[in-house]
Amino acid sequence: MSAIYNAIFRNNYTMLGAVFAGAFAFNMGYDTVMNKVWDHHNRGRQWKDIRHKYAESEDDE
Amino acid sequence: MAPLSTVTRALARPSVFRQAVRTISTTPAVRGDSSYSSPFKGESNSTKVPDFSKYLSEKKASSNALISYFMVGTMGAITAGGAKSTIQEFLVNMSASADVLALAKVEVDLNAIPEGKNVIVKWRGKPVFVRHRTAAEIEEANNVNVASLRDPEADGDRVQKPEWLVMLGVCTHLGCVPIGEAGEYGGWFCPCHGSHYDISGRIRKGPAPLNLEIPAYEFPEDDKLVIG
Repeated sequence: MSAIYNAIFRNNYTMLGAVFAGAFAFNMGYDTVMNKVWDHHNRGRQWKDIRHKYAESEDDE
Repeated sequence: MAPLSTVTRALARPSVFRQAVRTISTTPAVRGDSSYSSPFKGESNSTKVPDFSKYLSEKKASSNALISYFMVGTMGAITAGGAKSTIQEFLVNMSASADVLALAKVEVDLNAIPEGKNVIVKWRGKPVFVRHRTAAEIEEANNVNVASLRDPEADGDRVQKPEWLVMLGVCTHLGCVPIGEAGEYGGWFCPCHGSHYDISGRIRKGPAPLNLEIPAYEFPEDDKLVIG
């Protein structure tokens, strides 16, 4: 408990670093989850889902 | 009436104050002290300050601080992430969209260009020269003394594959389109003001200050060229 406190919160600069690192990790996780939610909600409607139907005609070009 | 009561209160204060020293001292009162006694005369009868001791945290001060700082830090992290996303999305919004980027590339089938021939393709509204150079021409381009050039650039720096010379067909002087396979150096010749470019597209004679520009291009397959 106090080890965490001493390592992260004792000094302002370590806390700031931890906050920014946490923000970075949170952003990546949040983006991933939200993209999954979006793809799940719109499954079957996006180009990447229906591409295989038209892929042949695209090769002719 | 008021002054009189002030005086009596002032006179009365010392005796009460002595009694109150313990209660307002900074050392914490013993837990279970049921109530707070006011240092002011008469107030103890009318005002009962309740006992807050049962609301005091039973944990150590450091663990409370840990949780507080953790909450502050988490809030800060989410805010920082939101701020970063806001700025990023705003800037991404201004960049070219996928359909614009798709139009900004030109694909050239290299099988259609025989050795020693020029092809001019239009790319972003500008002509791009693609020349399939012969071995003799590559040799010629490499044999030039680079230090003697106006815009010194080795032929190897101007091409990705020596047999394929890809460059922007815009004269660096005033923007005319040079004529291929012409001029004194066997390369390009600008008819507007007489700039001569050699077989690597480097300026050799005339008013142009720089070599013909090289666009970004790549060879995704052996016989395919993508400009852009």
